[in-house]
Amino acid sequence: MPQSVPPEARLLGSYIPTSAGPWLAEADRIYDAASIFDYIDGAGEVYRSYNMRLLVARRFHKDGRPDLVVDAFDMGTSEDAFGAFTHDLDGREAGIGQGSTYQAGLLLFWKGRYFVSIYAEEETEETKALVLELGRAVAEAIPEEGPKPRLLKLLPPQGLEADRIRFFHNHSVLNYHFFVADTDILLLRGTAKAALADYGRGAAASRLLVVEYADADEAARAGASFAGAYMPGAAGRGLSRMKNGRWTGLMVHGRYLAVVFDAATGPEASSRLEAVKALIEAGAWRGGATGRAVRLHGGEEE
Amino acid sequence: MSRKTITRRDFLKVASAAPLAGALAPALRTGQATAADKVRVVLVRDANALDASGAPNGEVIQRMLDEAVRALFGETDAAKAWKRLIRPDDTVGVKTNVWGRLPTPAEVEQALKRRVLEAGVPESRLSIDDRGVLRNPIFRNATALVNARPARTHQWSGMGSCIKNYIQFVPQPSAYHGDTCADLAAIWSLPIVKGKTRLNVLVMLSPLFHMIGTQQFNKDFTWPYGGLIVSQDPVAADATGLRVLEAKRREHFKDDGQLRPSPHHIQLADTRHHLGTSDAAKIELVKLGWSEGALI
Repeated sequence: MPQSVPPEARLLGSYIPTSAGPWLAEADRIYDAASIFDYIDGAGEVYRSYNMRLLVARRFHKDGRPDLVVDAFDMGTSEDAFGAFTHDLDGREAGIGQGSTYQAGLLLFWKGRYFVSIYAEEETEETKALVLELGRAVAEAIPEEGPKPRLLKLLPPQGLEADRIRFFHNHSVLNYHFFVADTDILLLRGTAKAALADYGRGAAASRLLVVEYADADEAARAGASFAGAYMPGAAGRGLSRMKNGRWTGLMVHGRYLAVVFDAATGPEASSRLEAVKALIEAGAWRGGATGRAVRLHGGEEE
Repeated sequence: MSRKTITRRDFLKVASAAPLAGALAPALRTGQATAADKVRVVLVRDANALDASGAPNGEVIQRMLDEAVRALFGETDAAKAWKRLIRPDDTVGVKTNVWGRLPTPAEVEQALKRRVLEAGVPESRLSIDDRGVLRNPIFRNATALVNARPARTHQWSGMGSCIKNYIQFVPQPSAYHGDTCADLAAIWSLPIVKGKTRLNVLVMLSPLFHMIGTQQFNKDFTWPYGGLIVSQDPVAADATGLRVLEAKRREHFKDDGQLRPSPHHIQLADTRHHLGTSDAAKIELVKLGWSEGALI
């Protein structure tokens, strides 16, 4: 790595081996939130939405074999490293770092404030083994683990698909996982903290979105915005049956907002929102959880 | 730009099982086009467009391009059709795409170049470029543009499309990233490109129908479709290519096939920017050549 490399990049680069079996590392390429487009074009917006600070990209080459590429991101916080990791959860757990997936020559994992992608240009038995070996080496070199977003504690555990939780700040990312609206009707604005979770699988699955805003006023504005755009017939009742027969429920409590999508019944939506409310109120350690509750139960819309 | 918000609830009103992405908003529209209103898109395919190793066959691709341009204009001769596209006094920029994982193949570039030269344009007034178009004097002074790029999924815009291929004509591409690139079509109104595009070629030789990871590419998610989609309307070309990608995803994933994020920039290019036609009902799709596995 050249002398002009910033200290943070030097530190991150030190976690990445300089060889992988007979594959040798090429010169690092280093990007920040402004220059990442030079590397992965518009796809850089995904990582910018998680407040990325730095990316160290190291390519490993051996003549006649597929290249391997390590993309190591310093996301600034472990919350956002976790969030970036949850953008793509396909694949099987590889037991690396604080969470990982492997599929088709691609290993993704997070540890501490780092999110790491290790990619083989072509998956072979050899490259698969090297990708996993590199991953283990990088994860072991990163000295500290970090906490997941505290917001996840507000996801009721009953029925939760714990390995399908997404964390993000941006409505485009929400829509990537679950299309809600083509505009930011939840007022995420790229700064709110949001967790989207699956409850159940397949046709019976419902989803829970929990959002933490800067303050209760912003949460109330977001609740009104969502209700106006998505549940206009509910008239403040906070519970609405959609044309597909599924139920949507909305609750605002303090600086938190929760929405249940696609619940099989109204009581299912209500009970999940009540469970979120109970978790908020139990978490006095968080502060700010004692705001007004505006959800009211009501009948069917449409 | 103010507009009505479209929510998941709106889609559920249309049909409980309706696709949910913004790109499918034509499902919310009504109205039927007469044959005279329709915009023509040609899909030409050849099982031999790629060899066994996946390398493009230049001769086959030239023939496919010629057939497509002939069909586009209803001409019997490709040279005549090209003379309707390009004048000898034109200055021509072929906007290509150099994305390393899936670039515009050189065979496509050369097939286009050959026909532009045969239309009477001297080589000194022809250039093929991507990232350097703003600094390229041919592109800065172009009177005609030919737009050629591979179809692929994209982690932010949903689809790497003909519309998106012009993002290199702006000095700060990220300025068009808002709402997952919703307003890419606005670029087509900038003086450097406005009204200059004579032909769009959406390369469907080995499209990428799914992406994973930061590198966005895995060969497992490409397939040898062996096609070119050719039209004077970039929106219609993209909307047609999108149908193919969605059909492939339905086949592969056994789900609704929707791209994520929604490539709504294609539909908005029609409804908001009036660049072309995204509604399949208003597109006359001419299919030529290899029909097996056409998907649409």
